[in-house]
Amino acid sequence: MEDYKFLFKIVLVGNAGVGKTCLVRRFTQGLFPPGQGATIGVDFMIKTVEVEGEKIKLQIWDTAGQERFRSITQSYYRSAHALILVYDISCQPTFDCLPDWLREIQEYANSKVLKILVGNKTDRDDREIPTQIGEEFAKQHDMYFLETSAKEAENVERLFYEIAAELISQARSKDGSSAAAAAAAARQADTGSSIGLSSLSAKAAQSNCCGGSGSGSSTSQAG
Amino acid sequence: MALIRCCFEPPELELPEFFDGFIQKCTDPSCCCGCCSALRPRYKRLVDNIFPVNPEDGLVKSNMEKLTFYSLSSPDKLDRIGEYLYQKATKDINRKRYKLAEIAMEAMDQLLQACHAQTLNLFVESFLRMVQKLLEDSNPNLKIMATNSFVKFANINEDTPSYHRRYDFFISKFSSMCHSDSSDLRDSLRLAGIKGLQGVIRKTVSDDLVENIWEAQHMEKIVPSLLFNMQSGDMVPVEDASNVTPPVLAEEVLRELVGRASFGHIRSVLKPLLTHLDRHELWVPNTFAIHTFRIVMISIQPQYSYTVVETLMQHLDSNFKSSPRTRTSLAVVLSKIIAIAAGESVGPSALDIINNLLTHLRTSVSTTTEITAEESQYQEALINALGEFANHHPDYQKIEIMLFIMNTVPDLSKKSKGDQMLQNILLKSLLKVGTQYSTVSFEKAFPASFLQPLLRMARAPHDPTRIIVMQIFQALLDRHQNEQVLSTVSIKPYPALSQEPPSRSDIIFTHKYGANIMQALIDSMALSDRVDALSASYNTAALLIVEMSCSETVQEFLLFILGIQQVACTVDTLGAVHRCNLHAIAISLLVLISRVSGINNLLEYAQKIIEARREEAVYYLPPLLDAKKVSAKNLNLALPHLSIDKLALGECMQNAGMDAQRLNTGAPYMLNQTDNPGHRHSWVESVSANMTTRNSSADLTVYNGDVDSVNSSPGVCKKLLAPEYNFDAMKRALAEPTEAAKREQRERQMQIVRTFREGEFDELMRRTEPKHDLIQNRLNELFNSLAVERQLTQSDSKATQQHAQQEKPVYETKFPELFYY
Repeated sequence: MEDYKFLFKIVLVGNAGVGKTCLVRRFTQGLFPPGQGATIGVDFMIKTVEVEGEKIKLQIWDTAGQERFRSITQSYYRSAHALILVYDISCQPTFDCLPDWLREIQEYANSKVLKILVGNKTDRDDREIPTQIGEEFAKQHDMYFLETSAKEAENVERLFYEIAAELISQARSKDGSSAAAAAAAARQADTGSSIGLSSLSAKAAQSNCCGGSGSGSSTSQAG
Repeated sequence: MALIRCCFEPPELELPEFFDGFIQKCTDPSCCCGCCSALRPRYKRLVDNIFPVNPEDGLVKSNMEKLTFYSLSSPDKLDRIGEYLYQKATKDINRKRYKLAEIAMEAMDQLLQACHAQTLNLFVESFLRMVQKLLEDSNPNLKIMATNSFVKFANINEDTPSYHRRYDFFISKFSSMCHSDSSDLRDSLRLAGIKGLQGVIRKTVSDDLVENIWEAQHMEKIVPSLLFNMQSGDMVPVEDASNVTPPVLAEEVLRELVGRASFGHIRSVLKPLLTHLDRHELWVPNTFAIHTFRIVMISIQPQYSYTVVETLMQHLDSNFKSSPRTRTSLAVVLSKIIAIAAGESVGPSALDIINNLLTHLRTSVSTTTEITAEESQYQEALINALGEFANHHPDYQKIEIMLFIMNTVPDLSKKSKGDQMLQNILLKSLLKVGTQYSTVSFEKAFPASFLQPLLRMARAPHDPTRIIVMQIFQALLDRHQNEQVLSTVSIKPYPALSQEPPSRSDIIFTHKYGANIMQALIDSMALSDRVDALSASYNTAALLIVEMSCSETVQEFLLFILGIQQVACTVDTLGAVHRCNLHAIAISLLVLISRVSGINNLLEYAQKIIEARREEAVYYLPPLLDAKKVSAKNLNLALPHLSIDKLALGECMQNAGMDAQRLNTGAPYMLNQTDNPGHRHSWVESVSANMTTRNSSADLTVYNGDVDSVNSSPGVCKKLLAPEYNFDAMKRALAEPTEAAKREQRERQMQIVRTFREGEFDELMRRTEPKHDLIQNRLNELFNSLAVERQLTQSDSKATQQHAQQEKPVYETKFPELFYY
């Protein structure tokens, strides 16, 4: 008897100082900590949200952006359901590093992981990366894209809720697809048996999906 | 009064709780739901009762005892109790009633401790969910408490495996806690994280069925977390055990982890360890790296320590592009830990490590065009590692290692600068190993396959190379720590010299290879006039004399000294200063050998020459002259009367009652007889050429090493007097007697066979009869004497004996054919 239906692990990555911790704090605690220090290693937060009437538990792993912690942060990618790749829209270098980050994700994370590109700090006036550039980059690399501001609480809730919704639909489609596959298999078995019944032993031998015993029985019937 | 209140209040308070339960439980068909608490299941009532009215009061102990007793008496309810406690705690946490959650946790702890292992399995599930729930919360106190509970759980031995239990979250969370950075509770949170990891390790490592902790995804969290804490410590072992700090605890856990790692798992520990050191740039300075690797080496199961060295070397491989400083640090770390591994690795693995180190040296030499200070430091560090490694091997393996290194030294024919550098580097590493070797017998220290290339290198045109080769010789020759004493060329006595008469095997070695070594020494002396090179050669020669001189070898050394002098006199290509220096070396060696061998006549002669030289040509005496500082003009080299005279030496020897035959007839050593280094000067040939009246037994030791055996065989002596004395004659003389004897013996055998085959039977009878008679007579005598003492048995025994004696002839006459075939 759990108090949630789904548990999703979300990992935030990106250069140091792009505002990963602030995003998480804003989302989980609803506050914007001024003068937030650099994260050491990995931080952990939990938040339960309700999407489509389902209780969803989000395990959020907030990794350190600093290079030296890369060895430990990478080990958290593997089990993640979603990876939020954050850059600072007012800082070109953080955007330039994105290909490196993608390479790292490619190497360490699950290949089917949900990837979201987030341009943070939209409240800043000194924007260096136009929205369009970020969007294009995201499209190129098959990622979702969103611009947020942890300070103004802009798009933060939306970000996590959309991730939750997407993950739910993924999980459901996985269930659905397997059900569909099962149904398809059943249908195929039906057609196979009908072929077998409709005589023509040569055809029955051709169709591999047809059970050996079924064809045998049909031939014996014919005999 | 208060007591009564206590008894009555809980039901009232519980009313909202109860409704909760009611709504919840309606879905549960097993619950028939009553409207008062009395109708609730008993376990729920018991659980409810342990919570105090006022959360600050803590667990209600007496009720807790009741709950414990209940769960002990009906263990099947334990899983439901766990589930219920978990649900209560979840609600409390959601409502931020942390105290109550803590109480629930405490209750679970107590139940866990109280109950028997086999009933725990289901309870543990809710227990772990509870721990996870507390860990998920941001409240640091809850986290610490949850960790403590987890550690308690980890220390329980479960007999039933739980295949489905996952520690994934715990490892992630504890690792995260190891990095916690909140201001006030930082250390306690970190300690909790480390303890939690320790708990996971303990829980999983011994059980193959549960989650494999050695998987990369776990190790990549655990190892960096431990190291991160360790590196903040001061690496000094803390005396005060009561004050456990994160670094100390992290170190302990790392030891435990490494100690439990089996062969297949070592690498999964080492890989994240190396990555962490890379990432955090902890190679330069490398104190922490050394510290860490020491810990690893000490706590690892000794049979795997070799793997650590191997892995570290592979890391060095992959770091070949990083700065020389990093590589130097790596090599230093290697040299620090290699000693620990050396004790355990034997045979091929040892050579493998050596080979690896040599390969690194080679790459270092070949990739750098300019030798920077840093690069040479790196090479130095590698050589040190090599030396360290060799140092911890038994001596017989050191020889093997030296041989191995020798084989990798590039040939002299390669003259490029890189090859020369490589030669130097490799010879340096050889020297490093050589200095660790303590020579007992030269035969073992210089196997032919090692000595020959070394002698070739002694003639290298490059001065530093030659000096290193000389140092190798010195290291291996010097058994009595005379190297320092003999480092300067001098005619004065060396008071600190210690010596011992050479053993038999040493003399044999001198006979076999001494000539080769001295030949190489002469060549090396002629190659350069640099004072350091000359003194190095002198030092080697002097050590050779000190270690090997005895009455049997002294002539050979005198020829060697004469050879040096001859080079000085006759080789025109040498500079004047060089020639003077060679004279000085020759006289110094003469003084040395006469002192060492105790031949006073020789010493007197040498002193005479010295006196003469002192008057006429001081430059013919040590100290050696530097060609750059002394002008050659003032040096008069036409001074034949000042040189050592061969005949005079021979006289001295004879006067001293020693044999001088070899000296008189043998030619002094010559320059550059290198093309046939085999046996141009070997004793064998000299013996055959010069053997005359002298009893050659000593010389023959070349062949069998035993004087007496030759002398004691009289046949040999006779043959030795044959008129012709050359090597072939000798050989024949040695070979003949055995041949003849064999032939003779064979003939005798044939004769016997023939007589028995062809002779008449009667004749044979006649031949053998006397012997029978003899025996019979003897026996009769014997029996007679016995008969005196024991008359009773006499007749019987005599009869049987006689019968036995007579039997043979009877058979012979009966079956004469038997004796024909």
